[in-house]
Parts: sequence; C-alpha cells; structure tokens
Amino acid sequence: MNARDEQKSAVPEAGPTHKWHHPGRWGAVIIGFLAFTVISATAAVTLQDRIFRRPVEQPIKFNHKLHVEDNQLGCSTCHEYYEKETFSGLPDPDVCAFCHSEKQGDSEEEARLVKMIADGEALEWKSLFRQPPHVFYSHRRHVLVAKLECKTCHGDIASTTAPPTRVTKLRMQDCIDCHHQKNVSTDCTTCHR
Amino acid sequence: MARWSMVIDLDRCTGCQACVVACQVENNVPPAGADQAAAGRTISWMRLAPFQNGEHGTRPDLKLVPIPCMHCDHPPCIKVCPVKATQIGEEGLVAQVYPRCIGCRYCTTACPYTVRQFNWRRPEWPQPMERGLSPDVSVRPRGVVEKCSFCHHRLQRAKDKVSAENRPLREGDYVPACVESCPAEAMVFGDLDDPRSNVTRLSQSPRAFRLLEELGTEPKVIYLSKGEWGGEV
Ligand code: HEC
Ligand code: HEC
Ligand code: HEC
Ligand code: HEC
Ligand code: HEC
Repeated sequence: MNARDEQKSAVPEAGPTHKWHHPGRWGAVIIGFLAFTVISATAAVTLQDRIFRRPVEQPIKFNHKLHVEDNQLGCSTCHEYYEKETFSGLPDPDVCAFCHSEKQGDSEEEARLVKMIADGEALEWKSLFRQPPHVFYSHRRHVLVAKLECKTCHGDIASTTAPPTRVTKLRMQDCIDCHHQKNVSTDCTTCHR
Repeated sequence: MARWSMVIDLDRCTGCQACVVACQVENNVPPAGADQAAAGRTISWMRLAPFQNGEHGTRPDLKLVPIPCMHCDHPPCIKVCPVKATQIGEEGLVAQVYPRCIGCRYCTTACPYTVRQFNWRRPEWPQPMERGLSPDVSVRPRGVVEKCSFCHHRLQRAKDKVSAENRPLREGDYVPACVESCPAEAMVFGDLDDPRSNVTRLSQSPRAFRLLEELGTEPKVIYLSKGEWGGEV
C-alpha cells in the first residue's frame, strides 16, 4: 500500500451521497420551486403577446366582411400596391371618402369616419401583419408572379367584422414549407437581409 | 445558376474611396465615433489596404487596394461557425444571418482577408441621419458579426423587378453600390458562370490575380494589375 491508497481508504465509505436518495423537506421545496419556475416561464413565453402587449386599436373599426363580401369590393380598392410593389399598402382617407363623404347608414363608427373625412384628419392605420426588418418579402412576387391567393397567408381576414388587435406574422417555417413544396430557393440570402 | 463576382482594376483605381463611402451609406454601417475608432472598432465593409507595388530599392509606389468580402467559393468562415449563421448560397454569395449570429467571432478570426467585423456597441447615428437609413438593409444589433454582402438586397430587389417584368436577369440589373459609385470605372460586377459577361472576360486577362490564392479559398473578387507586387505595408 502506498501513501495515496492509504489516504483514499481513510475517506469514509458512501459519504454524503446517500442524502440524494432522501430529498427531505428542503429538497421538496427546491423541486417545487423549480417546477413552478419552469411552468410559469413556459406560460410567459407562449402567452407573452396576450400577457404583456396591449391590444392595438385602429383609428376606425373597419369591417372587412361588410365591404368585401356584402359590398363586393376587391382587395385592390384599398390595398393598391400588391401587384406593383413589395408591399400592399393601407388605404388613404380619400379612398373611404369615395363612399363615405356622406353617411351611408346609421352606425356610430361610420358617423365618426364621416366627420374625420370632413375635418381632413389622417387615418393612421397600424400595420399588424408584418415581418421583422431583417426579412425581405414581396407581394408582387407572390400575388402577381406566383398567383397565390391572399387567404393562403392572411387567412380569413376578408370575413372578419373587426380589425385584428395583435401582431400576426408568418413564421420562417411557413415560408420555408411552401418554398420547399414549390421548389423555390431556401437560401438564407433569398429572404434575409 | 449565377456565380456573382467582382473585378477591381488596380491600374484604374485612384484610391479615391468613393466606394468606401457609397458602401457605408448603402448598408447602414454606423459611424464609429472617436472613442470606438481609437479602440480599433470601426466597422467598414469595404476598406482600402495600402500595398507596395514594385521591387524593393526602386521608387516606392503605394497602391491602395479596395478590399470587400471575397465571397470565396471555399469560405473558411463558414466552416468555423458553430450555429450556421454564415452560409454560402446557390449563387455563391456568402450570407451572414444576423438573427442567427451569437457573436462568438470565430469567423472574424478564420477570415484570412479580415473583412469580418464585430458590433461592440448598439449602432447609433447622429440625429437627422437616422431617418436616412435604408429599409432594404436591416440594422445590426450589438453582439453580431457583419461583413460585405455584395449588396445582396439589391439582388433581391432586382429579381423581384425582373420577375414582375417576366424576363430573366441581365447584366447590369444587379450591381453593388461600390461598383456603381466608382468614378474611375475600375470595378465591374457580374456572373462568372456566364461566358459572355464582362467579369468572365476580365478574369481571363493576364493581369488577373486573386488575394491569397494559395490558401485555396477561391475568392470571387478578382484584381487586375500589370505591376509586380510586394507585401501589405
Ligand atoms: C374598403 C377598403 C378595404 C378593402 C376592400 C379591403 N381591405 Fe383589407 N384593410 C383595410 C383597412 C382600412 C385595413 C386596416 C385596418 C384593419 O386592420 O382592419 C385593412 C387591413 C388588412 C390586412 C391587415 C394588414 C395589417 O398589416 O394589419 C389584411 C391582411 C387585409 N386588409 C387584407 C385584405 C384582403 C385580402 C382584402 C380582399 C379580400 C381586403 N383586405 C380588402 C381596408 C380594406
Ligand atoms: C365603394 C364604397 C365604399 C368604400 C370605398 C368604403 N366603404 Fe365603408 N361602407 C360602405 C357601405 C355601403 C357601408 C354600409 C353602410 C350601412 O349600411 O351601414 C359601409 C360601412 C362602413 C362602416 C360602418 C361599418 C359597420 O360595421 O356598421 C365603416 C366604419 C366604414 N364603412 C369604414 C370605411 C373605411 C375606413 C373605408 C376606407 C378604408 C371605407 N369604409 C370605404 C361603402 C364603402
Ligand atoms: C405568400 C404570403 C402572402 C400572400 C399570398 C399575401 N400576403 Fe399580404 N403580407 C404577407 C406578409 C409576409 C406581410 C408582411 C410584410 C412585411 O412586413 O414586409 C404582408 C402584409 C400585408 C399587408 C400589410 C401592409 C402592407 O403594406 O404590406 C396587407 C394590407 C396585405 N399583406 C394584403 C394582402 C393582400 C390584399 C393579398 C392578396 C392580394 C396578400 N396580402 C397576399 C404575406 C402574404
Ligand atoms: C404558399 C406558398 C408561399 C409562401 C407561404 C411563401 N412563399 Fe415565397 N415564394 C413562393 C413562390 C411560389 C415563389 C416563386 C415565385 C416565382 O414564380 O418566381 C416565391 C418566391 C419568393 C422569393 C423570391 C425568390 C427568388 O428566388 O428570387 C422570396 C424572397 C420569397 N418568396 C420570400 C418569402 C417569405 C419571406 C415568405 C414568408 C414570410 C414567403 N416567401 C412565403 C411561395 C410562397
Ligand atoms: C423563405 C424565406 C426564408 C428563408 C429562405 C430563410 N429565412 Fe430565416 N426567417 C424568415 C422569416 C420570415 C423570419 C421571421 C420569422 C419571425 O419573426 O417569426 C425568419 C427568422 C429567422 C431567424 C429567427 C429570428 C428571431 O428573431 O427569432 C433566424 C435565426 C433565421 N431566420 C435564420 C435563417 C437561416 C440561417 C437561413 C438560411 C439557412 C434562413 N433563415 C432562411 C424567412 C426565411
């Protein structure tokens, strides 16, 4: 037996490890706390939009269903640019003024709009459907060239009766899935900038 | 499939730095400020490196050589990236995907041309300049590496435009800002896989050479010069 072996055998067997088998009261508290942290963090991440962001209010509660389905207006009446540019655009008050310079019905919201138009107020629509600035996306490429329908990406917005209140976006996976399917480039530089 | 390439004629280049400025503006590269510059932390996607032209003992002839990212066919940077934030695309462009980058800076070390730079700070512009930023290029946050992209946002725009016009991309549809700005017309840009393009023709000139060719990186920036070359000063 050399000196090192002697030292080793001087260490008591089984040492403190047996404590792991019996977490005891403190162990239970710690495990409980960890579980609580994990669950609340997961909840915060999945629900962050609902918890931390206030719903966005538009200047006028616009009703897509009423205009698109009941009054048969094409999307391009108000979103003028999707065949010409990368963006679609949101309508100026002149577009609304075409019909709403005088009252059409008796809703309060419309009365407010008629007054805003008469006062020459701007309609500052907040764009809620958007990608982060490091992504390049083009409407004319997808609508004019690839002939995709608006609802492929925007869902059923045409039959909604009130504006969306939260930011919506396509996830990268949504873009990539379709690009794979249609044999379009998935190079990073195709979309990122 | 295109293979994008840049030719820089050093016999024409006057070292005026128009390309450096054009690049800075085009790509939202922030000014460093005096303290950052003193710490050697300026960012410039296109820099001029002083080289000695001619044999030793003769009259010294300095040449300022514009150095963008070489968009190598075998880029050493992509091999060391642990998160695949830098990748080479089908058309030979070496991409830097900022949201993916974790700022480890292996790539800045691996690049033999030292064209990769790190954002030590959140970028800031003097007041009115902030409104002049280009929406086609995203502003890089603190903690990521950036480099010359061959203005690939211009390629995105060009492809979008020609697809709407229902025609193929032609020479001149996609040109980076530096090439466009060069008053001496010392820079040419185009597709190296197109046998009739200007870059292909120039790349076959006896004056053509590439930087650090012996490393096997296969850079797609090609220089032209009739002089003999000494080292970087
Ligand atoms: C009469 C005008 C009008 C017509 C017609 C119209 N829209 Fe809209 N659209 C608006 C206005 C105003 C907004 C902004 C307020 C809102 O979100 O409701 C909007 C918002 C949107 C948005 C959300 C954009 C964002 O960034 O928040 C989408 C998507 C959209 N419209 C798609 C369509 C589609 C698809 C059609 C055709 C089926 C259509 N719109 C027809 C006026 C119109
Ligand atoms: C082509 C004509 C036309 C255009 C353009 C138009 N509207 Fe209307 N709008 C109508 C009609 C018709 C009604 C139905 C009136 C009614 O019967 O209450 C209506 C109703 C409304 C109402 C009341 C909705 C409700 O739920 O009762 C609002 C608000 C409104 N429009 C906003 C807008 C805005 C904002 C724009 C511009 C982006 C616009 N409209 C453009 C024709 C139009
Ligand atoms: C392939 C998916 C796709 C299709 C198809 C599509 N969009 Fe979009 N749309 C987007 C994306 C992505 C954005 C966010 C763009 C951004 O932030 O740059 C957007 C944004 C918008 C916006 C917000 C504001 C703006 O100026 O761009 C409107 C309005 C809109 N789309 C309308 C339409 C209409 C109308 C159609 C059909 C003609 C349509 N979109 C078809 C993906 C699509
Ligand atoms: C439903 C299918 C679909 C979705 C979703 C989609 N794309 Fe596309 N995309 C296409 C098609 C098809 C083309 C090719 C168009 C053509 O024929 O030139 C294309 C082309 C492109 C191009 C041009 C590619 C090139 O080689 O020049 C870009 C950039 C692009 N898409 C970005 C996006 C982004 C960003 C998203 C997600 C926000 C997205 N796309 C979502 C179908 C889609
Ligand atoms: C077809 C289009 C497309 C292509 C190709 C693409 N991306 Fe994306 N990417 C997107 C879009 C759109 C988003 C924004 C999604 C979001 O905000 O949820 C995104 C977001 C990301 C993000 C996350 C950013 C964040 O804030 O969470 C990373 C990282 C990323 N992309 C890396 C890459 C890399 C690496 C490649 C090349 C292999 C690539 N992407 C190719 C469309 C694309």
